[in-house]
Amino acid sequence: LQESSIFRSADMSLCQLFLQTDAAYQCVAELGEAGMVQFRDLNEEMNSYQRKFVNEVRRCDEMERKLRFIEQEIISDGVEIIEPAEQFRAPQPKDMNDIEASFEKIEEELVTINTNTRALKDSHIQLWEMAQVIEKVKMMIDSGHTRHRASTVIHEQVTHAGIFDEHDSKDRGGTELKLVTGVMRRDRVVAFEKFLWRMCKGKVFIRSHDCEGEHDRFDEDEEKSVFILFFSGEQLAQRVAKICSGFHARLYNCPEEPVARLTLHKQIDQQLRDLNDVITRTLEHRTRVITAAATSVYAWKIKVLKIKMVFHTLNMFSIDVTQKCLIAECWIPTNDMDDVRDALRQGTIAAGSLVHPVLNEMEHHETPPTHFTLNKFTQGYQNIVNAYGMADYKELNPAPWCIISFPFLFGVMFGDVGHAIIMLFFALCFIFFEKKLISMKIKDEIFNTFFGGRYIVMLMGLFSLYTGFIYNDYYSKSIDVYHSSWATDANDNSCWKWQGLTGALFRKGYEQWEIDAAANNQTFEIMLDPIYCYDTEAGPYPFGLDPVWNLASNKLNFLNTMKMKSAVILGIMQMTFGLFVSLGNHIYNRSLVDVFFMFIPQMLFLCCIFVYLCVQILIKWIFFPVTPTWVFGKFYPGSNCAPNLLIGLINMFMMTPRTDGFGEFKNTTNYNVGDDVNLDDFVNDPNCGLSFWYPGESIAEKVLLVVAVISIPLMLFVKPFYIKWRHSRGLSIGHSHSEDGEFSFGDVMVYQAIHTIEFALGCISHTASYLRLWALSLAHAQLSEVLWDMLLKTFAFKVNGWLGAPLQFIFFFIFAILSVSILVLMEGLSAFLHALRLHWVEFQSKFYSGNGIAFEPFSFEKAIRIAEGLD
Amino acid sequence: MAEFFFNIDHGYLEALVRGFKGGILTQADYANLVQCETLEDLKLHIQSTDYGNFLANEPGAITVQVIDERLKEKLVTEFTHIRNNALEPLATFLDYITYSYMIDNIILLITGTLHQRPISELISKCHPLGSFEQMEAIHIASTPAELYNAVLVDTPLANYFVDCINEQDLDEMNVELIRNTLYKAYLEDFYGFCKQLGGTTAEVMCEILAFEADRRSIIITINSFDTELSKDDREKLYPRCGKLYPEGLAGLARADDYDQVKQVCEYYSDYKALFEGSGNAAGEKTLEDKFFEHEQVKLNVHSYLHQFHFGVFYAFIKLKEQEMRNIIWIAECISQRHRTKIDNYIPIL
Repeated sequence: LQESSIFRSADMSLCQLFLQTDAAYQCVAELGEAGMVQFRDLNEEMNSYQRKFVNEVRRCDEMERKLRFIEQEIISDGVEIIEPAEQFRAPQPKDMNDIEASFEKIEEELVTINTNTRALKDSHIQLWEMAQVIEKVKMMIDSGHTRHRASTVIHEQVTHAGIFDEHDSKDRGGTELKLVTGVMRRDRVVAFEKFLWRMCKGKVFIRSHDCEGEHDRFDEDEEKSVFILFFSGEQLAQRVAKICSGFHARLYNCPEEPVARLTLHKQIDQQLRDLNDVITRTLEHRTRVITAAATSVYAWKIKVLKIKMVFHTLNMFSIDVTQKCLIAECWIPTNDMDDVRDALRQGTIAAGSLVHPVLNEMEHHETPPTHFTLNKFTQGYQNIVNAYGMADYKELNPAPWCIISFPFLFGVMFGDVGHAIIMLFFALCFIFFEKKLISMKIKDEIFNTFFGGRYIVMLMGLFSLYTGFIYNDYYSKSIDVYHSSWATDANDNSCWKWQGLTGALFRKGYEQWEIDAAANNQTFEIMLDPIYCYDTEAGPYPFGLDPVWNLASNKLNFLNTMKMKSAVILGIMQMTFGLFVSLGNHIYNRSLVDVFFMFIPQMLFLCCIFVYLCVQILIKWIFFPVTPTWVFGKFYPGSNCAPNLLIGLINMFMMTPRTDGFGEFKNTTNYNVGDDVNLDDFVNDPNCGLSFWYPGESIAEKVLLVVAVISIPLMLFVKPFYIKWRHSRGLSIGHSHSEDGEFSFGDVMVYQAIHTIEFALGCISHTASYLRLWALSLAHAQLSEVLWDMLLKTFAFKVNGWLGAPLQFIFFFIFAILSVSILVLMEGLSAFLHALRLHWVEFQSKFYSGNGIAFEPFSFEKAIRIAEGLD
Repeated sequence: MAEFFFNIDHGYLEALVRGFKGGILTQADYANLVQCETLEDLKLHIQSTDYGNFLANEPGAITVQVIDERLKEKLVTEFTHIRNNALEPLATFLDYITYSYMIDNIILLITGTLHQRPISELISKCHPLGSFEQMEAIHIASTPAELYNAVLVDTPLANYFVDCINEQDLDEMNVELIRNTLYKAYLEDFYGFCKQLGGTTAEVMCEILAFEADRRSIIITINSFDTELSKDDREKLYPRCGKLYPEGLAGLARADDYDQVKQVCEYYSDYKALFEGSGNAAGEKTLEDKFFEHEQVKLNVHSYLHQFHFGVFYAFIKLKEQEMRNIIWIAECISQRHRTKIDNYIPIL
């Protein structure tokens, strides 16, 4: 049974599809709804405008343009576009005309309304400007009369015109003084004045005044100014007229008699009122049209998008010589073939055609696209993997293992119960309100990144919760659940450096000790030395880290070695696992040469050096206590002689001669293995940490080293020569090296050499690289401790009395904000990136090639998401 | 040293303009455009290039006019964005680029007014990059002095115009003289500005501007044969910032026919090559085309090989302009069904 799975990409079939011309549209539309088929472009050499359905595509473009126009109008009116939740199927091709017609109608209607409004607006503005001109003229001339009686000759004459208009106008009717009034954009007035001055040599008198008042009907208008020009002479008049037209000024003839002005003003006011009514009615009509359009514009958009996509797809098909059917080639997941057939059948029925489309599987030698069946949970992890590279066809997919290992490694770096709870809370909120948030269609990129990874964040939160419990770290504080098993007793003062302590450590409380010590001008410091302070009878703390370490001044000495070593163990475990995954790939490809001369030497190399190191770490943890004892038949005098693993590893490589055992008994004594030893009888070797510490270590290490060294040439040479041999026999040599059809031994050799070097050096550097697990965890713990100490301990908790309460209140807020922003968000991001790197580089390099091509099915759903800017 | 700090002020814009340059049509695009049967095809194809949907919102049938307007609009949008984000001295540099369009616009308006064309029609033909506030009032001026005093005195072109004030009338000959004098002053000023900027900018821009200056000198000389322009007047029009200055220009000033011009240019290896391949016969490229090609391919495109300089901005505008000319040429050929000359565009990349 071939289950389409997440471990390997789904089986793909290259199919040929014969569609009857009449039914082709419907069938393709059904396939688009189903979203399971990736069509191949059979007309690649053809230009987009040479294809068969270019006219339909063009019609869709035109429809889209109209829709954009309508949408623009809707948005500019501030009407909300309604997005119904229902599905809109691709309309029948014959419905296209109806849809087109309806757009046409609305567009035409809107265009007419727009032209009408524009015309109305123009006349409105003109009337309004005219009114403004009259008002300003009245103001300027009349005020001139009272205030600037003797300002200029010209001015005075005009002022007279204001009063004695009856007989004055007769005199001035001819050539004497001309008055031109108009309106122009306010920002050009200065340039205009300057220009007039220069062109008319100062013979034109100009007054300008800003328009103000009611002008809110059309908000897009710029601000305007009224100007009045006084001058005399016919030539000047022509000139002025030209200049005015050059500056887009609108001229208005303003009657010079106040009475005429008054009547005109009244008329204009009346006209303005009438016009306003008309405008209101036009705008109401427009609103009706727009609201109606707003309800259906979304549906139209979807429909047009679907039509356009279908025709785009049809353009990729080749046409049968008889013109009766279209031939398509497509990739289909083999498991979905039946669904595809169903969709085709439905399409045929919908098109009312009698001839069923034919779906043939084709023989092919091409690399199929990679397709995984995913759900919303696995999608996020697959995205992480895909960001590195799409898996090859049928290659083992790293994503399923990432589901656990990724959040786990994250947790190792981020272990803190408090921060983990915050993270978990956010992720659970996302998951709980999932449907609501999806339907909101939020387009913010950062939000979508977090939202898309909500299940990753949830697991990251859970695992950091778990590691937080193990590290016993709650915002850098520890909780004592099972009672610490470190000596809290009494009169033995070697555990803390302050004289005169009695009683259990926790009975009085750490803080109190500190205060007491301060009172005696001393510092209180706990130094946990297992020889003196560890209560062997109580046994180790049952789960996680003993909380007493949080108080110890040698906390880091202990934590660092522990975290470092566990980081190396975790890393080597993950790399070894990665190698086993590569074995899965080799077996799937039935490539024995890869199994025996790639996997096995790689495994040997890794085991002989690095797994050996891990075993040493574990043995050291288990068998080397602080007290003198017999270990593997050798007397071990105490923790200062515990084997040094790092130098030991280097010595193994250098094959440095070392002594056997941790030292020698004095000649006078005779001890058997297991006897109680008087330490005075034993002379420690000065380099006892570097000596051989189990029987036969010297031989064992040499063997391991030789095996590791031998495995390198095995990796390097066997496979290329094997390929060469196969090639000389004319056998198939696998897909990876025969792309250009020519076989080049040099290329194969270089490729293999690169791989071998990369693997051998990679093992070393990757092991070191896993130390980032420790480094980040340390950084996180230290940072949260600093935050606690700096804010709460040194400030907020120091103040006693009534002031303490508000201070704690304030400082808690700072603490909370910094905790979330720095420790959860920033540190979380950095831990995420490091976990990502560990997976991409350290883990996946062991087995993953990631050179595949993604399966991109023809799917309406996906296209709609893209069109809405969600993907 | 300037290179070290270049990116602080101008890094974003340089990156942007290099990105824009990446969108310039390639030979393959032109090959496709040339095959188009109608302007609709052209529109469809051009959608797949960097121009994208710039024609998508056009209702009704596409005309060459519309394409031209949209192309210009796009260029202006891009230029304005760059100009708005520019800091000194790039801002001044970009302003200098617009001056040449201002000169063209002024000349267009004056010539139009001489031929009694309505101002609105002329304004629509002006290049939007070179528009300025007082532009529309140009037609009022009837003498160069008036033109200077009223219109140009506030524009950056005022300095260039000082030499033209003594011309008496605005007739066709004088307009031509004004144009060339303005250009001369403009090129020399721009050249000086780039020189003063120093560094790679000077290196690249002086090369381009020197070529531009020489091109103008040569074209002026060739066009002046059989006109009433005296040799002395002609010499005054030569921009003195090219490689031809001073000996070459002196030679050009004495030239009486095309062959003598060619002879003068023989001494300059760059120009010699241009003269050799050109001719007016069918199938041969004209001298103008040759000059354009040299300017485009050799100089403007090559300016992108240097980094940390302003030449890329100049080159971008010039290349875009050439590309627009190409597209319009192809569009015209398509719309007039005149396919024989459709291949006469000047490919850029």
